Amino acid sequence: MKKNTFYLLTGCIALLLLGLFWYSVELHTPLFIEVGFIVGISTIYLARRTVTDIIEDERSAKITEEAAVRTFQVFWVGFCALSIGVVMEILYIPSFPRERSAFRPPEILPPRMLGYLQLVLLCLMIFLYVGFRIYYARKYGDWETDEE
Amino acid sequence: MKNKIKVFRAMHDLTQEDLAQATGVTRQTILAIEKGKYVPSLDLAFKISRYFNVNVEEVFQYSENVRTIDVD
Repeated sequence: MKKNTFYLLTGCIALLLLGLFWYSVELHTPLFIEVGFIVGISTIYLARRTVTDIIEDERSAKITEEAAVRTFQVFWVGFCALSIGVVMEILYIPSFPRERSAFRPPEILPPRMLGYLQLVLLCLMIFLYVGFRIYYARKYGDWETDEE
Repeated sequence: MKNKIKVFRAMHDLTQEDLAQATGVTRQTILAIEKGKYVPSLDLAFKISRYFNVNVEEVFQYSENVRTIDVD
């Protein structure tokens, strides 16, 4: 497969996923977009392996690897912090000394709020990866120019 | 890590693109190595030196940059 064909295919899959997302929202059935996302990304991965005119050498592999590792190192801290916060919300924390008047029912975050939290985490992950990728691409000379 | 890739390229009248194709990497990688932005793997270093028919030490020179540790 040629590089441009692959990019075209990726664009089509992205558009399809966008449509599927809208459809899932309309029907309020997240299963469509979840399954569609897995199938779409798997198709892109499989198609990527058949592309013949993209050279992925050790330097580009190193840039991807370093960006992924750094993203993970930063992301898991934010992810755990938010997760702990959510867990604290759903757990009943008794106050000491235990008094009858201090009793409060457990507060559970509404699903909409959890959705916003997931959105924040998703955006954080994407921004971190793109940022680190730009940083390491620059570090390993991606935008260096030469006299040739 | 210092290298003399540019010198060897000039001696063999090669462009960065020629060397990149011969060693299976991108031109940007050869440029990054020449400018010292990227240290190649042993595999690539040997490929490059074999392409020029010289020993790897003639193309790449390891510059000592080790912190000294006091050992009692």
